[in-house]
Amino acid sequence: MAGAPEFAIHLDQVSKAYRLWGRRSQFATLKSALLKRDMKLAPEASVAALSDVSFAVHRGEAFGIVGRNGSGKSTLLKLISGILKPTSGAIAVNGRIAALIELGAGFHPEITGRENIYINGIMLGLTRRDIESRFDKIVDFSGIRDFIDQPVKTYSSGMYVRLGFAVAVHVDPDILLIDEVLSVGDEEFSQKCIAKIQEMKYRGVTLVFVTHQLGQVRDLCDRALWLDHGKVAAVGDPVRVVDEYLQVVAGHAPQPAIAVTTETQAAEEPAETKKDPLEEERWGSGEVLLTRVSLTDDEGRDLVALGAGTPVTIAIDVEVRTPQEDFVFGIGIYHADGSCVYGTNTDIEGLLAQKLASNGRVKFVMPSLDLIAGAYRIDAAVHTRNGRAFDYRRGVIRFVVGSRLHDIGVYRPPHSWKFEGGIAFREVDTLKRDVPAEMATWIRESEEK
Amino acid sequence: MNQLATLYRSRQLIAALTARDLKARYRGSVLGFFWSLANPLLLLAVYTLVFTKFFPQQVVTPYPLFLFAGILPWTFFSAATLESTNAITSNAGLIKKVMFPAEALPLVVVLSHLVHFALAIPVLVAAIVIFVLLGQTVLTPMILLVPVLMLVQTIFVAGIAMMVSSASVLFRDLRDLVTNLMQLGFFVTPIIYLIDRIESRPLRALLRMNPMTPFVIAYQDVLFFGRFPSFSDTFLMLAYAFASIALGITVFDRLRDTLAEAI
Repeated sequence: MAGAPEFAIHLDQVSKAYRLWGRRSQFATLKSALLKRDMKLAPEASVAALSDVSFAVHRGEAFGIVGRNGSGKSTLLKLISGILKPTSGAIAVNGRIAALIELGAGFHPEITGRENIYINGIMLGLTRRDIESRFDKIVDFSGIRDFIDQPVKTYSSGMYVRLGFAVAVHVDPDILLIDEVLSVGDEEFSQKCIAKIQEMKYRGVTLVFVTHQLGQVRDLCDRALWLDHGKVAAVGDPVRVVDEYLQVVAGHAPQPAIAVTTETQAAEEPAETKKDPLEEERWGSGEVLLTRVSLTDDEGRDLVALGAGTPVTIAIDVEVRTPQEDFVFGIGIYHADGSCVYGTNTDIEGLLAQKLASNGRVKFVMPSLDLIAGAYRIDAAVHTRNGRAFDYRRGVIRFVVGSRLHDIGVYRPPHSWKFEGGIAFREVDTLKRDVPAEMATWIRESEEK
Repeated sequence: MNQLATLYRSRQLIAALTARDLKARYRGSVLGFFWSLANPLLLLAVYTLVFTKFFPQQVVTPYPLFLFAGILPWTFFSAATLESTNAITSNAGLIKKVMFPAEALPLVVVLSHLVHFALAIPVLVAAIVIFVLLGQTVLTPMILLVPVLMLVQTIFVAGIAMMVSSASVLFRDLRDLVTNLMQLGFFVTPIIYLIDRIESRPLRALLRMNPMTPFVIAYQDVLFFGRFPSFSDTFLMLAYAFASIALGITVFDRLRDTLAEAI
């Protein structure tokens, strides 16, 4: 019952019901388990935690799970990790799993940190030798070398968690399940955790997060799933899923697509289906709309292709249907491969919202846009400070940057080369080097004349 | 069978947890291991006093040695069984939060009590040597059979522990039940008396039904009487060990999936 091998995790119509414990049912459970080997639950004696959940997590993907308390997120992780068994449905997992459901869950207070590292590591599937070779890395990561030979009961709760995290991330799993543990520890340590998780993602580890820190889902995840009362409410682009979730939390009906748009049919269906990457995605609650977003030069002419270093302005026409007091305008520039080149918003830059009373225009002015040749897209959004979107337009503008240089990356810092001592270059006009061969021959010949 | 495979894979885990149990138990205590010996020694002292001074119709001499040979295996059995009622419930964190082979927990309990038992053997041997020097007993090569008996008994105890540990998660009364049964069990096992001296035939037959009876008699045979255990006791021990482990694995297997929820 394995999913296709490109899936790290595959759930097929998984449901989980928890038994309600009563005085009598306990013995009845033991009896039925032993005699009938029948663990089917009568509906009145159980409560559904998950119903009919199906989704797949691809290999190497960072997958976020969001939802209210009690929506079944932790149950879902426990099912994936094998701690719990589904009541019905099938779960297929490809690869070694490490689950960070509770950090330091297996620590014994009476023995030392050193001994606990060994036991915890073995519990997570390492051998004694594996742990020996990683021991120093684990201790360095935890940052509590001075206390490593003290019994764990003397540790502060922060130290406890640091050690737990340090062991868990050094297990080298194929799949890492993380339940609400990134918010522990001090600022420095949680930065370190996030850096470590990003490194693991980079190395191709499949990550599944459960978190209430929606910012982390937006930043770290490739896709997200919103679980509502044990059912999948949405799967797909993390920014969008998180936003749909926020809309509902804020008491708005889930309206993934705004009525005024014609271009966002894709938003109707949870994004598992393949979409045309050129199609704009748009969502939001619609109190404020970005009616038109354009990329213009300094004279206000629309641009679709630009050279490197051109001055550009992103101009946004804003329609206010309901005046707002809590609002933030944001801009994101993305490379065609999906990586973020730059993103900012008015809140980040310390602009305090005062009024959004009637229609207007927002301009984001860049004296020079030093991008490398390639295809880019721009996201524009207006949302509340906690990220609930009024109108989010993903990929509202697509543009290409052309260049005669073949430098690489996404950004070209203003620069020049300087050589001193016995190092010298002869400058060649890049135009001549960079044209088709016949043209170059022609240029050379005409120069020789 | 795949349970045995799971257990084999988790052997390092079981070893590490057993070591952890032992370390945690003795860390910070001055007398350390002595405490696990204290209880059998106290029992030994009390019964020796009662049966050599208060009611001096000694069944066998040297009586303390006879007692010692029976008390140690009984203590192993009863302590491991009692503690296994808590083996899973007291490690709820592991079962609920970590992917963890739950069957390791009762086995860790059994193994750490086996270690206590094994550490008491040198004390017993020293006692035998003292009585040999006093000319009251003889040391025979039969003593070399002790490890074999321990192995068979460990299998027996492991089966019981698996049953008791998993069933007590769903049925908490089991712990009190087991505590009381163990007190009764001490007296219906021929530890402080010889089963052959019991006059009533039906009573003797009843005592024979106690699965710990052949084990205790066998230890007394090799340690005290210096003779090979009887054929029937040997057969019974093997049968009980096999039945117990088979039943233990079956029960555990059926309850396993409910453990993480029920705990």
